[in-house]
Amino acid sequence: MTDTLLQNLINGALTGCIYALIALGLSLIFGVMNVVNFAHGDFVMLSMYLTFWIGLWAGVDAVFTPLLTFPALFLIGLLAYYALINRTLRQRYVTQIAVTVGLMTFLRALTQLIWKAQPRALPYSLIQGNIQIGPYTILASRLVSAAASVLAILGVYFFLSRTWAGRAIRAASDDLDAASLVGVPYRQTYALAFGLGSALTAIAGGLLMTFQQVDPTMGVRFGLLSWCVLAMAGLGSIPGLLISGIIVGAAEAVGMSLWDPRARSLIVYLLFILVLWLRPRGLFGRK
Amino acid sequence: MLNELLRVEQLASGYHRVPVLNDVSFHVREGEMVAVIGPNGAGKTTLLKTISGLLQPTSGRIFFNGQEISGQPPHTISRLGIAHVPEGGRLFPNMSVMENLLMGAYGNREVLKTGILDELFELFPRLKERRHQLARTLSGGERQMLAIARGMASRPRLLMLDEPSLGLAPVLVDTIYDRLRVLRERGLTILLVEQSVHHALSLADRGYVLENGRIVLEGACAELSRNSHIRQHYLGL
Ligand SMILES: Nc1ncnc2c1ncn2[C@@H]1O[C@H](COP(=O)(O)OP(=O)(O)O)[C@@H](O)[C@H]1O
Ligand SMILES: [Mg+2]
Repeated sequence: MTDTLLQNLINGALTGCIYALIALGLSLIFGVMNVVNFAHGDFVMLSMYLTFWIGLWAGVDAVFTPLLTFPALFLIGLLAYYALINRTLRQRYVTQIAVTVGLMTFLRALTQLIWKAQPRALPYSLIQGNIQIGPYTILASRLVSAAASVLAILGVYFFLSRTWAGRAIRAASDDLDAASLVGVPYRQTYALAFGLGSALTAIAGGLLMTFQQVDPTMGVRFGLLSWCVLAMAGLGSIPGLLISGIIVGAAEAVGMSLWDPRARSLIVYLLFILVLWLRPRGLFGRK
Repeated sequence: MLNELLRVEQLASGYHRVPVLNDVSFHVREGEMVAVIGPNGAGKTTLLKTISGLLQPTSGRIFFNGQEISGQPPHTISRLGIAHVPEGGRLFPNMSVMENLLMGAYGNREVLKTGILDELFELFPRLKERRHQLARTLSGGERQMLAIARGMASRPRLLMLDEPSLGLAPVLVDTIYDRLRVLRERGLTILLVEQSVHHALSLADRGYVLENGRIVLEGACAELSRNSHIRQHYLGL
C-alpha cells in the first residue's frame, strides 16, 4: 500500500516538473502584461499535436521536436500577441478574457478538425525502459522529461537575469512606466514575453509526448494545472514555481490513486481553490 | 546666449480629457538648472510626464535640442537624452541596485564602457556597498539616491527630477541636494520640480511658479526668493 503510494508520488513529482515549466510560461505572460491567458493550456495541447505530427511524418523523436516546435510556438505566440492581445491592452478586462477564451476555443476546434477527437500517441520514443530503485520503478522517459524541464527552467532563469532582453522583461513587470522611461519599448517587450511564454509549452509538449497521449480536451486540464501551480507559487519566484509544480503533480497522482483516476482535474481544482483561500499570494510570491 | 536645450510652447495636457495643464510655456538652456515650483496638485508631475512622453499633450509643442519630441513614446524620448526621475523614485523593486543602474543605461548601453558606473558609485558610495541588494530592501534616502543614479546612468543631456525631497527626513533632503549641487557644478542641465521651495530656489538658476496648471510667475531664483507672493505662500515668511 505505502509502496504504491510512494510510487505514485514519485511519478507525480516528476510530471510536476513539466507542469512547472508550463506554469513558468504562463507566469511570464501574466506577470509582465497582466493578461489572463486562457489559451495557455491549449498551446500545450497544440505543441503535443505538432510533436505527434512531426513524429509521424518526419520521424523526428519527441525529445528533439522542441528544436522545431519551440521556434514555431514562439512565432504563433508573437502572432497571437500582435493580432489579439496588443489590441486589447487598453480595453476592459472582460474584453481581454473574451479574446483569450476565444483563442482557446479556436485552437480546440482547429485540433479537432485536423486530428479528430481520438487520442493520439507516438508509437516509440528514443528513451526506453525503466529505472529500478528499490521497490520503485521509474519510467526513464519521465525521469528524462523532468530533468529536461528543470534545465529549461534554469535556462529561462539565466535569460531573465543575465541578458538585456530578460532584464527588460523583469523591469517591465516591476514597473512599466519606469521601464519605458529608461528606454524599454513596452510593446516589443510584451511580444517577447508572450512569444517566450508560448514557446515554453513546445518543450513541455514534446516531453509529455515521450510518455503519454494527447487529445483535444487536454488544453483545459493544462490550463487549470498551470493556473494552480502559479497561484501556489505566487509571482516572481522561479524556485517557488518548481516546488509548486512538484507539489501539484504529486497531489494529482496521489489523489488519483487514493480516490479515483477520473477525479484528476477535480483534485487540481480543489487544490487551486484551497490555495486561493488560504494563501491568495501564493507560498513563495513577493508581496 | 546659451543654446536652448528644452523648449515647451503653449502646452496643454491632462488625463482622459481631464485637463490639468493650460498654456504652459517655458525653456531650459544648456547647462542651466531650472526649478518649477508649485503647490500639491498644481500639475508639476503632469508636466514632467508630458515632456517624457508618458502623457500625450492635448495641444502645444515640445522641442528638445531643436527637434520636436511631442507625440513620441517615452522610450524614444529617453534615448534622445532626457532622463526623467519620477516622483517617488519608481525603482525596479525586485531587481538589485546594480541591475537598476544597468537598466538606467538600457536605451544607451554604450555608455557603460565609459566608466559611468564607477562615477556613480563615487557620487553615491552607499549604492556601491548595497549593489547586490534588491532595491526594495533600501531605505527611503537610498532609494532616492538610486533613482537619481539610475537616471544619470545613460549620461543624459537633460535630467528631470520630480520632487527628490518627497517623504525624506530633513538631513536626507540636505544630502540629496548636496549631490544635486555636485551634478549641477559639473555642468549638467537639470529641470527640477519641487514643493520644497526653499531647497529648490537656493540651488537653481531660474524658476517658474505653476499654480492650477498655469505658470503664474517666473524669474531668477534670487528674485523669486524676494517676491512677496512667494515669501508669503511658499516660504512662510
Ligand atoms: N492619474 C491621474 N488621473 C486623473 N487625474 C490625475 C491623475 N494624476 C493626477 N491627476 C490630477 O491632476 C492634477 C495635477 O496633479 P499632479 O500633476 O500630480 O500635481 P503635482 O505634481 O503638482 O502635485 C491634480 O488635480 C490631480 O488630481
Ligand atoms: Mg507631483
